[in-house]
Amino acid sequence: MKHPSEIQLALFAGGDLAGYWERWRVARHVAQCPDCQAEVNSLREASEQVRNVSAELPKDVNWNRLAAEITGNIRVGLAAGEAIARFDKPAARPLRLGWNAALVLSCATAVFLFAFWISLPQPQAEHLTAALKRIRSERIGSIVRTPAASQDDVVLEATSSSIEVKENGRTMSLTHPHSDGATVSVSLQGSAGVRYVDADSGQVTTNKVYYAEP
Amino acid sequence: MRSRSIGSLLALAGLCAGAANAAALLKIDLPKDSPVVVLSSDPGDSNEIARGGAMLLDLHAMLSLRNATTRRIRGVTLVVTAQDVTPGGKGSVAIASDVGPGETFPVRVDLRLLRPLQGSANVPVSIGLDGVLFEDLSFYGPDKLSSRRTMTLAEFEARRDRKFFKSLLAEGGPERLRQEIIESMARQADRPSLDVQVMRGSRATNLEPEKQVQFAFLKLPDSPVEPMEGVARIAGNEVRAPRLEVKNRSDRAIRYLEMGWILHDRSGSEFLAGSVPAELNLPPGQKSPILESTTLKFPQHGGPALAIEGMTGFVSSVEFTDGSVWIPSRADLGSAELRRVIAPSGEEQRLVQIYRKKGIRALVAELDRF
Repeated sequence: MKHPSEIQLALFAGGDLAGYWERWRVARHVAQCPDCQAEVNSLREASEQVRNVSAELPKDVNWNRLAAEITGNIRVGLAAGEAIARFDKPAARPLRLGWNAALVLSCATAVFLFAFWISLPQPQAEHLTAALKRIRSERIGSIVRTPAASQDDVVLEATSSSIEVKENGRTMSLTHPHSDGATVSVSLQGSAGVRYVDADSGQVTTNKVYYAEP
Repeated sequence: MRSRSIGSLLALAGLCAGAANAAALLKIDLPKDSPVVVLSSDPGDSNEIARGGAMLLDLHAMLSLRNATTRRIRGVTLVVTAQDVTPGGKGSVAIASDVGPGETFPVRVDLRLLRPLQGSANVPVSIGLDGVLFEDLSFYGPDKLSSRRTMTLAEFEARRDRKFFKSLLAEGGPERLRQEIIESMARQADRPSLDVQVMRGSRATNLEPEKQVQFAFLKLPDSPVEPMEGVARIAGNEVRAPRLEVKNRSDRAIRYLEMGWILHDRSGSEFLAGSVPAELNLPPGQKSPILESTTLKFPQHGGPALAIEGMTGFVSSVEFTDGSVWIPSRADLGSAELRRVIAPSGEEQRLVQIYRKKGIRALVAELDRF
């Protein structure tokens, strides 16, 4: 059970707590909590005493001036507290050798991983990403399922520069020279092909790749 | 673990050296009674380097083959395998050419392999023979990739197109031939093309709502097969699980057919997406379904995503059980929709290139050879 703060209890005791919901919540807590109830009673008694004392004050008290003086005293107190806190703050200690070594090792690892990643061929990178995603999904689940095609699902690909058969991140591509006349085709029975006229020999050349369930 | 480490070190050493022993990357294995023999194989600037956690083999081999028979060869298909890399996959390089007895011809193999660092003792790439097609349409070879059918269809297309261009030449002389060749060049330049991915199965891989779309059909008058109906599931730039029904309207049984597939997108553009082949046994007058569970995806790299709206199918080739084949005539291919999207035959492309490089006289001389 979380107790209301002292300020909330003080405002509640004086009937100054703002907000219906806040008042209801504190009242409900005070009704059930003997400690807070005792605190509220104590505050009310103190308030009653202040009222009694204020009745004895001279009638010509300048309340505005008194409030300004109190505010000024509070500000001076806060500023002094901040100055002392700065004075007491310990100076930053130099890093120990062990931490330096760990930092250097971390940087070196990051550089190695970055270099490894950028030198990884695209299909391998996609395969690695897919594998990591799969592991993440199996271990901690996935909040949003993204149905984008995994590269592992793609078994054949035909583009204007090559035709490929893919299997578990491994690929075999037959490349062909860029040519306006290259005709790319796929067959739903598991083949992709490209036909072009070889510029050197003048022969019609047809490259194909085939996929069959291993 | 130790061998893996040694493999990695060797790979790193290869990276430093920049190139591996290219000759050890390729093995050519043709049958002893092969109609073609290897005269030489030049691995060119092939190399194998380590990239990240993988080995990248870049093979640029130029083979020189000779026709060792007394017959003219019209096509050769070589099979390219990398068993350690893609056990389920293979490649082929097919040459359509007219090669006389004793003549030599080149075959270029440009291949890229990506495989794990730990290598095996095997030569990574091996090249074998899948088939040789002769002028009289007889065939030699194991035909594991159905290269007999592929090369026979290509030869029929070549004969059809040479006959067409020769008829133009006979009718209107070189100028009429030139006019048709220029129109062909314009069509080739305007023909839209797409990158295509084939995916296993037919599960959804994008967020677009899926809808079932009926095929429209281009009915070619003399086609022995009549497409009856067809549907496929479309979601954004993906087409899944096409189902078609066809009827044999000829008097011969059919064992293979191929349906061409044209896609229409929201902007009104049309693309030849691919083909739906089917091995079947379809007696005269009978119907047969063609079912595929594969998904085709059309990624638009750097452009707006393709939004497929409709599909049109047409019969692009048929093989009868007696081994004869049917292909669309030049008149069939003259329909407005097909002319916009369908690719010219390899032979038409070859003749256009002869005109481009050597002019109309060389083209006329080439047509006169046949």
